[in-house]
Amino acid sequence: MTALEGQTTAVADAVDTAKKPAGPQASSRLIAYGHWWWALPALVLMGTTIYLSTAAGAFYAFTDWTGAGPFNFVGLANFTRIFQTPELLGSLTNTLILAFGFLVFTNVIGLLFALALNRTLKTRYLLRTLIFMPVVLSPIAVSFIWKFIFSFDGALNQFLRSIGIDSQTDWLASPKLALGCILVVMVWQNIGFVMVTYLAGLATVPPELEEAAALDGAGNWRRFRSVTLPLIQPSLAIATTLTLIQGLRVFDQVLALTGGGPSGATETLATQVYKETFTYNAFGAGAAMALLLSVLILGFSIVQQYATRDRSQIGG
Amino acid sequence: MTNHNRARRRLATVAIPMAAGLLLAACGGDSGGSSNNGQEPQTISFAFGSANPNEHYFQDAAKGYEKAHPGVKINIQKLPAESYATAIATRVQGGNAPDVFQAESGSGQTDAVGNFAKGGLLIQISDPAVRAALPKGEDPSQFLYNDKVVGIPIATAVNGIVFNDELAKQNGVNVTATSTLDDVINQCAAAKAKGKAIFGLAGAIPANTGIATMEFAASTVYGPTPDWDAQRKAGKVTFAGTPGWTAALESLKRLNDSKCFQPGAVGAGFDALTNGAGQGKIFGFFAPSGAAKSIMDGAGGHVKLVVLPMPAPAGTKTYASVSSDIVVAGSAKTKSPKLVEDFMKYFQTPEGTKIVADAQGTIPVNAAENATLLPQYATVEQTIKNKDVRGFGTVNWPNGKVYDALGSGATGVLTGQKTPEEVLKQMDAAWG
Repeated sequence: MTALEGQTTAVADAVDTAKKPAGPQASSRLIAYGHWWWALPALVLMGTTIYLSTAAGAFYAFTDWTGAGPFNFVGLANFTRIFQTPELLGSLTNTLILAFGFLVFTNVIGLLFALALNRTLKTRYLLRTLIFMPVVLSPIAVSFIWKFIFSFDGALNQFLRSIGIDSQTDWLASPKLALGCILVVMVWQNIGFVMVTYLAGLATVPPELEEAAALDGAGNWRRFRSVTLPLIQPSLAIATTLTLIQGLRVFDQVLALTGGGPSGATETLATQVYKETFTYNAFGAGAAMALLLSVLILGFSIVQQYATRDRSQIGG
Repeated sequence: MTNHNRARRRLATVAIPMAAGLLLAACGGDSGGSSNNGQEPQTISFAFGSANPNEHYFQDAAKGYEKAHPGVKINIQKLPAESYATAIATRVQGGNAPDVFQAESGSGQTDAVGNFAKGGLLIQISDPAVRAALPKGEDPSQFLYNDKVVGIPIATAVNGIVFNDELAKQNGVNVTATSTLDDVINQCAAAKAKGKAIFGLAGAIPANTGIATMEFAASTVYGPTPDWDAQRKAGKVTFAGTPGWTAALESLKRLNDSKCFQPGAVGAGFDALTNGAGQGKIFGFFAPSGAAKSIMDGAGGHVKLVVLPMPAPAGTKTYASVSSDIVVAGSAKTKSPKLVEDFMKYFQTPEGTKIVADAQGTIPVNAAENATLLPQYATVEQTIKNKDVRGFGTVNWPNGKVYDALGSGATGVLTGQKTPEEVLKQMDAAWG
């Protein structure tokens, strides 16, 4: 044993000794008290403001309440109506298209940007800032700007005409294009957030590992697939979970860009919840849709968490 | 020393709660004092929607009331017309209603008084004089709940076409109160060739496609069957089973197919109408007649607009849609119920009625038959005198979903997403 090793061992022993509590009884008492009383205020606050109010909202999903006055219990009638009304089923389909489109495009493009701006490029800090900037803007404000871009006499058609394409496309009034326009705005605004999440993950990947793989003859794709991707697994799990949830509850962009139109072509579950509750005074039906949306988010999140779990821990 | 400290601690244990109690009592006493003087707050909020920055009739009415009642302050809340109905419904239902607000009569629209009154959210006025001053010749039930007045109409308007007759004629287009739909359609191509559109449409706003279809329906449905709503309520007729409703939607589609609307009409908002009319790119648009005055004012008198009824399809007599469906309502949760009721009643006084009608460019409620109408009504005056008028059907509909299905569905007909039959079936389903 060298002098340095001996010194290190002595320090480690000293730390261990310092970590040891005065006595086993005192330790168990502290832990027992700590578990209860320290978390209680936060638990009560969470319980009353989130879970209790959600449960109260879920209760109204089984009633015909109009938002004011008395109500009757209608059992599962509100849910039956959702699955029997083509317009509401269309909203469910639109929600799923937007959610999974948002999940895929935002993560793929965000990851590509993160890989491109991770190292070497001199202007990477400036570019990261520029790409992240839309994230800090209000989704409503961003959507209104894009509404002008997509409008019939807007910047997009003017640009297309300037390069010789005689575009007469009414982007947001087209039942086939409007949903895609909303997806573009959602993806554009959130790429920066996903990029930063992946950059945080990439910062934990030791360059030596990639260098070793390169020396062993691994190409770019192989190094990414076998070295980088497994190491940024936690970032992948976080980014995909958050984008999926964000995509499922999309509201602001739809309301500002199309209002759910043309003729319901871009309605989502969240906009229908708002319409049923406040426009049509059908609070019970709105609550039923909100409950369905919550269950969808919960279900997909669990499946998604399972799919992106850290497999290195499986089997101990 | 120890005893002295103990004594101080004991004193503190008694003194702190006593001080706190006295403080609370003082607060309570102060609060009670202010409420015991019997004076309700003399400041109220007043919300309304506006599609044009030049509209000021509600502000003028508020100023007129303030002038007549020194010490009263009315805080104006001007909201965008495009989202007004939903915004005000959200606030009223959410317990955050302004003291007084613009609403629709009946129960057929999102911001209709009937929907709010059911939940006990509106002030109910039992004064018989208020009831007696409601518009003659219109169904009074649209302003009532439990036989008490919940909405006071501010004026009578023609729901028709606000039209720049001079500009149209300069471009070789002639539309009058006796023109048929085919007369109009035959001129659309010529107008388009000159870079103009005979009509502007805000196709992205269900309220605009809705009012356009309702104006057709005044002739195709309510013209031959004035009590159609009562028959629908009794289950004797349906939207899908009434040819007049199909004709109304098909008429709108024919205008679109014949390029009578401005390019990009289906995705346009209200701004396309005000900008298009201001720039002379469109000759007319579908709106309550009050819109004519605000645009003329905005143009500094350089534009002269007239009001026309929607031209009916060939073989159908043209009726003008005339109604007093815009009302003011008071929140039941106001802290100034007497002031709110008095301000609402102001819209029935000769002074209040005149202020609104003059500033809005509408017809005063219960105007005498020989009353002089504003110049913009000259084109429709004979139609009104002949009583070739019908009300605005939606006021009798049971909920806002039916009208929304019509407005949204009409856009769907224009984009090819839906057939008129599908839209009408959707309206029947929404009727409940």
